[in-house]
Amino acid sequence: MKNTISASVAALLAAGAVNAQDLPQASNQWFANGQAAIQERLARQPNTGRAKNIILLVADGNGVGTNYATRIFMGQQAGGLGDDFVLPYEAFPNLALVKTYSTNGQTPDSAPTAAAMNSGVKTKNDLINIMDSVAVGDCEAGAKAGTKTFAEIVSEEGKSVGVISTARITHATPAAVYARTVNRDWEDNSLVPEGCAQKDIAMQLFDQMQAGVIDLAMGGGRRHFIPEDVTDAEGKTGKRTDGRNLAQEIVDMGGAYVQTEDEFLAMQAPGNAPILGLFEPSHMMYEADRSGEPSLAEMTEAAIKALSGNENGYYLEIEAGRVDHANHDGNLARTVRDGVAFAEAVAKADELTDDADTLIIVTADHEHAIAFNGYCGRGSDILGLCMGIDEAGEKNTGEPLLGANGKPYTVAGFLNGAGSVLKEQADGSYSGSYPELTQEQATDLDFLQPALVPMSSETHSGEDVAVYAKGPWAHLFNGVIEQNEIFHVMNYAANPK
Amino acid sequence: MLSRRLFLATLAPALAAPALLRAAEGPLKIRDLYARDRSLSDLAQSLVGERATFAGFMAPPLKADSSFFVLTQRPMAVCPFCETSAEWPDDIIAVYTKRTVEVTPFNVGIEVRGVLEAGGYKDPDTGFWSLVRLTDATYG
Ligand SMILES: [Zn+2]
Repeated sequence: MKNTISASVAALLAAGAVNAQDLPQASNQWFANGQAAIQERLARQPNTGRAKNIILLVADGNGVGTNYATRIFMGQQAGGLGDDFVLPYEAFPNLALVKTYSTNGQTPDSAPTAAAMNSGVKTKNDLINIMDSVAVGDCEAGAKAGTKTFAEIVSEEGKSVGVISTARITHATPAAVYARTVNRDWEDNSLVPEGCAQKDIAMQLFDQMQAGVIDLAMGGGRRHFIPEDVTDAEGKTGKRTDGRNLAQEIVDMGGAYVQTEDEFLAMQAPGNAPILGLFEPSHMMYEADRSGEPSLAEMTEAAIKALSGNENGYYLEIEAGRVDHANHDGNLARTVRDGVAFAEAVAKADELTDDADTLIIVTADHEHAIAFNGYCGRGSDILGLCMGIDEAGEKNTGEPLLGANGKPYTVAGFLNGAGSVLKEQADGSYSGSYPELTQEQATDLDFLQPALVPMSSETHSGEDVAVYAKGPWAHLFNGVIEQNEIFHVMNYAANPK
Repeated sequence: MLSRRLFLATLAPALAAPALLRAAEGPLKIRDLYARDRSLSDLAQSLVGERATFAGFMAPPLKADSSFFVLTQRPMAVCPFCETSAEWPDDIIAVYTKRTVEVTPFNVGIEVRGVLEAGGYKDPDTGFWSLVRLTDATYG
């Protein structure tokens, strides 16, 4: 009996599938779009060629939630309601969810996550390309537990290697392309403790450029490359106490060194010699404030043009480092603007390369303590107040929804950070109340989304991030994966068996 | 100072008028003092020597019983004197207060009213360099 029912249900379903166009909803646009999406997916063929070029784009701190905010923001900036907007990488054919925890952190920092992608193993928080048997800061043990990086592997196969970041180029995510360190903070020699034989991160970049592993590096962090008695293009002094001017030494080596947007625009690729672009003493500016510095997309274009001269191909890691920083500030308005700059860099990388021979991977290293309220009507400004749903239409009512306290609330918030509603009182205790917010206040560029736990800097979270991919072997990204698998896909795609 | 004010008043009456109007309406934002290239905005130049009110946050002062603090646009948990200048945002105002500073938590918004001064200046006590200052300031 049971079998008979199943069979007839199956027959009905099969008939239904064949006659989809006869359904009453068949003329609805959503239905047509759904059918078109399936047809497009049916036509896809996996690319099993060799990845000549591999581009890994990382938006630091851009988990699924943060990315959602950027998607809506970019869509609303384009004049739409936001939700249906498709970020450039969201159109990529392959996707997986990524578990980002480190070996000792349910919540990771950017050091072990970047190491997972560049060395293929998870390790402890604060360690970069050092295996997790080592304690943070243990120089002696670290010297014997370093990994061989993806950059070193593909460099031996004749590929060029580049690294770009809007953070300091010595910050964790870019550093994992070229350095091994038992402490991510050792960005120049003045920060390495006495008696520790490990070289500082800036020096390791210099060494890898000299060795021919790294061909191009662009970002912030100039102060870590020049001595304390040398001033840069902005009149600011360096941090090095060993007298080494690593930027000048790159020039002496025949390489190119640029500090300003003008120098960047005038830059000529120096043939086989390295390119070093250092546009700020510390991090580059937030996209919202950027002036006198190239954008992430412009650096991406320059890098691809410089590296694609190598017929063996290249590995290029591109980081939008300040999505993370704006989240730490609790300032979503700057987060999403750096998110847009990242999306534009992805689009540029895609435009300048061929899917046939270039594996493009877009991901984040970790998420933040960001969260979203409901039930907002469509088109509620992602940076502003949660507006009511219009039962007779599509766009929100324009009336803010109210909490039980009778006050409007924002679409987005953070679980902790400087935007905490709990403020320190004169007696040292913390208390406060939820403010009466206007849409104008909430959408101000400098507004901090309301948060709960008071902290000076909002934290990362251990929540999943996504990985989006296209090109050779991109279909190996599927399901829920461990972050270190990203390395293994890159490594396989470079040399498929 | 006087000659500069006269000069500005002659050159830019059209700019000065709306700026002063705005100053009278409510607190100004620190970012309004800076142009995109981080130079002083027309508004800032029009307000030099005038008493104006700015909204912002008090960065944690290093010294107790001082009459100086840094006003930031967004909460800055770090102490400006403990960090290098490179870590410090460009869009700040150095505030010289009428009375000894009573510390406000870094993430509690305040409004500061004082006489606007512009031009590079290095504080003799702290070595802190500023482009814009409010002097004889009160806040709350
Ligand atoms: Zn972070």
